[in-house]
Amino acid sequence: MAGQTDAERELAVLLVQALNLEDRAPESIDPEAPLFGDHAAGWGLDSIDALEIALAVQQKYGVELKADSEDTKRAFASLRTLSAYVDAQRSSAVH
Amino acid sequence: MPVSLPLSSAERLFAVGSGAGDRADFHAAARQFAQQLPATGPIVNLCAARRSFALTLVAGAICGRPSLLPWSPSANVVRDVAAAHVAAVVVADETLPDLGALQCCRAPDPGAITDNTGSAAPVTLDPAQVAVVAFTSGSTGAPQAHAKTWGTLAASSQRLAQRVLDGLVAAQLVATVPPQHVFGLETTILLPLFSDCACLDARPLFPADVRAALESVAAPRVLVTTPVHLRALLAADVQLPPLARIVSATAPLAPPLAAAAEARFAAPVLEIYGSTESGAIASRRTAEDTAWTPLPDVRFASVEDGAEVSAPYLPQPIRLSDRIECMADGRIRLLGRSADLIKVAGRRISAADLTQRLLAVPGVEDAIVIVPEPDQIDGRPAALVVAPDMDEAAILAALATQVDAVFLPRPLRKVAALPRNAVGKLPRSALLELLRG
Repeated sequence: MAGQTDAERELAVLLVQALNLEDRAPESIDPEAPLFGDHAAGWGLDSIDALEIALAVQQKYGVELKADSEDTKRAFASLRTLSAYVDAQRSSAVH
Repeated sequence: MPVSLPLSSAERLFAVGSGAGDRADFHAAARQFAQQLPATGPIVNLCAARRSFALTLVAGAICGRPSLLPWSPSANVVRDVAAAHVAAVVVADETLPDLGALQCCRAPDPGAITDNTGSAAPVTLDPAQVAVVAFTSGSTGAPQAHAKTWGTLAASSQRLAQRVLDGLVAAQLVATVPPQHVFGLETTILLPLFSDCACLDARPLFPADVRAALESVAAPRVLVTTPVHLRALLAADVQLPPLARIVSATAPLAPPLAAAAEARFAAPVLEIYGSTESGAIASRRTAEDTAWTPLPDVRFASVEDGAEVSAPYLPQPIRLSDRIECMADGRIRLLGRSADLIKVAGRRISAADLTQRLLAVPGVEDAIVIVPEPDQIDGRPAALVVAPDMDEAAILAALATQVDAVFLPRPLRKVAALPRNAVGKLPRSALLELLRG
């Protein structure tokens, strides 16, 4: 399993709280595992979870997610891609 | 008498704003697609876009083939549904999951409809023909099929239109619900087919998408959604363009949420009551009324441990999973759902069924599924499991091959033993205490 960065760890904690996945330890989550669909290998999340993630990310980081953009589809691939997307959006909002 | 799909004053059915898809084109396109469909059995209609879904539905009707509506697009569910129907063909408009040996075909791209020489006269439907087959998960685990004829759907849709579109001319619908769910089918497909309205092709999910979708259509705008999406819209603090009406179904809408939505978006919130078996049967303005007004010609009767609904267009009275009170003025009150039903994201399963599936996982010795907060919107099930040689992730992974992901217990907690009392029953209070850890 690839190691988590600090930003990924922070986002993992947020997702575990927002989605009530209290049987998952944030630090044990593979940052490259798929967020949706495949439960055995990944998180096994669904579209209601996507909505919760979008709300949590907006409230914590002030980043608005849109499902109909290709960027968001790519961002929702894994914890790593989502973290990178949030980071990029925050920097572009600041500068 | 045959049912005709009318050509009414709303110019565009589903592809609002894209320039494609007025009603005449729609009928010609459906005839063209009917000739291209592989000549086999029923259609598993997985189309996500409204126009592709409706084209597939009507093309199927032209050649006498119903649309099967899986309650989830996951490969397991699609395979289960297709396996129960000889020679079913899957029609989709997005990338398909791996469906093994199933025959698959793509819905036509709206831009690819070139044949404008064919007849654009309204398609005529046989009211006795089965239009769709919707599914609910049965207590034994096998999905139960509910077939609906064009006659039932058309009659039911005209009555629903009297509530949803009341007083609106050429309403433009934007919906967050999928067309495969019966509420989504009734509002986003059948209302445009049978009444004076159009529905946006796309299905927005996040609050920013809903705003953009509503901005893309003209007034009067109607938002068709669920309590979960409504709560997200309020929490995200989005500014929406003026709405004529908000329509909610699939899960109970809390009156405070309805009132907050009415205040924020300056539009009445209409809640629809119905079931997969019956379709929409009653409505209320949740911020103002606790009682429900039946749709025209719909009759309710309270029976032992439940209720029954009947209507001239339903083939027989239908048993409901709610207990009701019939009021003197003809309205009804809902007194609560039978406690065993778990409903998440418009899909449902019984707690007993989910427990049985958990017990069937090799290595699980004892298990119980409960819903800790049954009154909460989309209250997810939780589980206590006795399985000394397995970890939680392995149990969940095994269960995930059996049930839709929305029903996977959160949390699933391992315990040494379940707190069975002297008669083997599991007191709810003891279970909740164990769940809290």
